[in-house]
Amino acid sequence: MAATVLIVEDQVLIAWHLADLVAGAGHRVLAMARDPAGAMEAAARERPDFALMDIRLHGGTSGLEAARMLFECWGVRSIFISANLDPATRAQTEALQPLGFVGKPFLPADVLAAVERAVKSISVQ
Amino acid sequence: MSETPETILNVNDNEAARYATTRILHRAGFKVLEAGTGGEALQIIREDLPPLVILDINLPDLNGVEVCRRIKTDPNTSSTMVLQMSATNIAVIDRVNSLAAGADSFLVEPVEPEELEAVSRALLRLYRSEAALRRALAERELLLKEVNHRVKNSLQLVLSMLSLQGHRFKEPETRELFAKAISRVTAIAAIHERLYQDADPLTVEMHTYLTGLGAELVRASGMEENAQARLQIEVEEMRLPTEHGVAVALVVNELVMNALKHAQPLSGPAVISVRLERHGNGQVRLTVADNGAAPEQPGSEVTGLGTQLIRMLARQLNGTVSIERAAGTYAVHVTFPLQSAVSWRPPY
Repeated sequence: MAATVLIVEDQVLIAWHLADLVAGAGHRVLAMARDPAGAMEAAARERPDFALMDIRLHGGTSGLEAARMLFECWGVRSIFISANLDPATRAQTEALQPLGFVGKPFLPADVLAAVERAVKSISVQ
Repeated sequence: MSETPETILNVNDNEAARYATTRILHRAGFKVLEAGTGGEALQIIREDLPPLVILDINLPDLNGVEVCRRIKTDPNTSSTMVLQMSATNIAVIDRVNSLAAGADSFLVEPVEPEELEAVSRALLRLYRSEAALRRALAERELLLKEVNHRVKNSLQLVLSMLSLQGHRFKEPETRELFAKAISRVTAIAAIHERLYQDADPLTVEMHTYLTGLGAELVRASGMEENAQARLQIEVEEMRLPTEHGVAVALVVNELVMNALKHAQPLSGPAVISVRLERHGNGQVRLTVADNGAAPEQPGSEVTGLGTQLIRMLARQLNGTVSIERAAGTYAVHVTFPLQSAVSWRPPY
């Protein structure tokens, strides 16, 4: 199944790289958003199947905020990407039913494996 | 001088004695809380977190030594200073016990007011300097976390930049050169994803590290799709010092890339296997083997960067390289001493 994926990452180079990977695996990139507002705007236009979400946007934790809004408004879940995935950070995402976690610096294979797992768990529902 | 008076909890079931102590402390300018039982004292300590507790040994419910032990073993209250007090007739063993239970000082009643005040001030001074150290440590930890975050993010930017650039080339040679560079940088960068999530950031667990890199080599080479090659990874559970871990990963990277290019089995797909195992006598042996015909003459390869890298990295590991050729297999072994890593565990 080809999924529609929203990428939320404030570092444009990394966002672009993720978009390349997702598109290369045959999925559609809905948009590359840089902050919670951009993520909501994109998702309001068209609902993504899930988001690839950087936890720390602009040095804060606003990726969590973006993920929460996507989840609460539309039930859109996220794969979380971060350079810090300690147990405390993971615990903060628990209520948002995370689809997976990928540590930075990521191996493209890890990103794609997480995307495939997400696609599977979403199409089962 | 601090503007707000420091708080001391005075615990004694004998009202007269408690009053006398409170009076001395009030005169010395402290704010005083009072408790008559051990249970009451523990509750006040948990709620108000007074920096100093003056604790009588003989209490109606809990023994003062036990109260002290509970204060000092609860991480929320363990920084509280405890001054244990008791009447003259107390045995030496009780004083020893109470200090062993974590009391910071001990006084025998009756106490001169000056001495009680001086000891209280000394303990509060200690409390303040310990608190300052704890704050400084917490700040350092935050800083370290921030720096780690930056390092990992910057490495990610390097990798993303290389990947984006690599996709823009059309010529197969250039693409291959770029893919090699990306693969090498990936092997180095990937260790950082693992290090700080571990209990021990000075060593790296090789099984997860190499398995992850293997999956990435499979993806990057596209061997899954064309089914011309298969990669098997068997890595014993072992931790290596970080710099050795990186060296091993880079050697694996070179050898697997080489095998992907050169392994040409007579029939069926190329099977490339990576093995890392203990090899007796404190040695570790890395083997990268394939079922293809051996490279005809390594003459041209010797000058390749890959071959040079393997030699230099083997030297860095204090290891030796040996090549095994047999009908239908080609194996490279790197054997090196397993260094007892400087291990680090958090002190709690």
